[in-house]
Amino acid sequence: MTDPAVKVDRLEKTLQTNKVLRGISFEAAAGEIFGLLGPNGAGKTTTLRVICTLLAPDAGSVGVLGHDTRMAPQEVRRRVGVVTAEFGVYPRLTARENIAYFAELSGVMDGELNRKVDAVIERLDMSSFARQRAESLSSGQKQKVAIARAIVHDPPVLMFDEPTSNLDVLASREIREFMVESKGRGKCVIFSTHVLHDAERLCDRITIIHQGRVVANGKTEEVRGKYRDLEDAFLSLVEAAT
Amino acid sequence: MSSVGIVFRKEIREILRDRRTLIAIALAVLATPTVLFVISQVSTRTATQTYTVGYSGDIPAGLDVLFGATGLRLERVDDPAAAAKRQVDIGIVFTPAGIDEYYDPTRQSAQIADIRVQTILAKYDAAKIAASLQQKGVDPSILNPLPVNVHPLSSPVKAAGNSFLSFFLPYILITMSLTGGLSAALDTSAGERERRTLESLLLTPAPRSHVLVGKILAVSVISLTAALAAIASMLVALSQIQFGGREGSAFPVDLSPLAAIVMVWLAVLLAASFSSVTIALGTLARNFRQGQAYATPLYFITIFPASIVLFIPDFNPSLAYYLIPILNAVLVLRDAIVHSAVAWSSLIVTSASLLLLGALCFYAALRLFTREALLIRS
Repeated sequence: MTDPAVKVDRLEKTLQTNKVLRGISFEAAAGEIFGLLGPNGAGKTTTLRVICTLLAPDAGSVGVLGHDTRMAPQEVRRRVGVVTAEFGVYPRLTARENIAYFAELSGVMDGELNRKVDAVIERLDMSSFARQRAESLSSGQKQKVAIARAIVHDPPVLMFDEPTSNLDVLASREIREFMVESKGRGKCVIFSTHVLHDAERLCDRITIIHQGRVVANGKTEEVRGKYRDLEDAFLSLVEAAT
Repeated sequence: MSSVGIVFRKEIREILRDRRTLIAIALAVLATPTVLFVISQVSTRTATQTYTVGYSGDIPAGLDVLFGATGLRLERVDDPAAAAKRQVDIGIVFTPAGIDEYYDPTRQSAQIADIRVQTILAKYDAAKIAASLQQKGVDPSILNPLPVNVHPLSSPVKAAGNSFLSFFLPYILITMSLTGGLSAALDTSAGERERRTLESLLLTPAPRSHVLVGKILAVSVISLTAALAAIASMLVALSQIQFGGREGSAFPVDLSPLAAIVMVWLAVLLAASFSSVTIALGTLARNFRQGQAYATPLYFITIFPASIVLFIPDFNPSLAYYLIPILNAVLVLRDAIVHSAVAWSSLIVTSASLLLLGALCFYAALRLFTREALLIRS
């Protein structure tokens, strides 16, 4: 593997009284889709939140392209785009205004703002509704707005946290295609999901976490190993770790 | 453009597209003139209304004329005491020994009729005494050994106007500074969590303090606009509406340049403080409705100091009182309106107090806005 774009090292995190992460370590590289798998409550979302600096680690460290999340959180945020299942948008702004707002806050300069916003609108095929207020958009269209605002500043690291859980089949497929396309562009794509079928198809490497600990880590086919599919491997590993 | 400017511009754009805020500002502009118009109608009606006096016995000569000229209609009844309970506004029994008056103090019409009757009787008595003295060759002025010539140093009508303004203007300034931007404040704080946009916003590289300042500035501008619009509409209404059925000009409105400057300065400080407080409360809330519940006590906290001038009109506080936020704004404005002068010491203490309040509120809002629990609760 080349130098890691994201390096998580013995990460620990307690939320209120619940110790959610108990020494998680993994690395994700540019040009790959890295799967972060685990059952509900395993600590996937908390891990992603620490990586993107929304939460601070209690112990261990996280580096994004050489920047430590504790020492240089703003530098990390400049290099990360996050798409979650909760694609909240500003309802009284148009789709375009939503995207432009996040582009400006992410440091896209005035001179290239329109060009970058237009480019992302075209890339995600949003031209037909770009000037509509977000309150009138469908769920799939809002999800596109959420993706657009996460990538408009062209971050090298993209994180998807259960991105298809609220979407229909068609919209889910577009998200998956987008992840593959981003990988092709050399991005480091971290994909958190409990839909193992998606993970098996898309991910180059995976880490399975359970109760805040890593129970498996490696190339997808290596983790699947002797089992029929990733789901069987997952169930076996989680059961053994419980 | 800086992060503060980007957030400010976006918030203003969203607020101006929000019907709730626009309705709040429109109500702020329309509510005061409407209330003043209703008050003027009631006061005019009260001043010109004729009240009925139920009487028995013989009316002294000339007194009936005075009653008629003062808006009191005489009506003969069998039992004035019984009639005064409902049938008429006041009951009078004329006897050779004097007058027995019956009225029900719980009825406002009876109170007004009583005042008019007492005024008439006092004038009647004075006229009768003066006539008797003159008949006996005595100068009636003997009854008034120390005649007083009153020389008001300012117009009593204007003073009454200033007194009215000294209560109403701070009241409107304070309540509108709070309520004018409340909807916007909750929308920009609790609304971020409710719409699930908060996490995305905090993921941007923009410093959270800059995001917060942009939001507070936007809400402050809306609060300030609502407060000044409400005051402007009140002043226009006062200059156009007549009270108490008086002839001639309307209510004397005379807001000196000093009072206007002090008012705007205090409005800026209050708007900034209230914006920080309401955004902090909104940040604690999970949604807009919960934010409204958190903000409700603020109404009472702000209205009480604004009312103190009404209940204690001659309240003459020491400088220490000017340390109390909101009350100090009321007192400084009262001085500026009534006396057209403000002591520098009280203005400086008031400004420092309100600035400190604003800074503390901003600090509290920033602490809330940057804590992890904000996201965990989301």
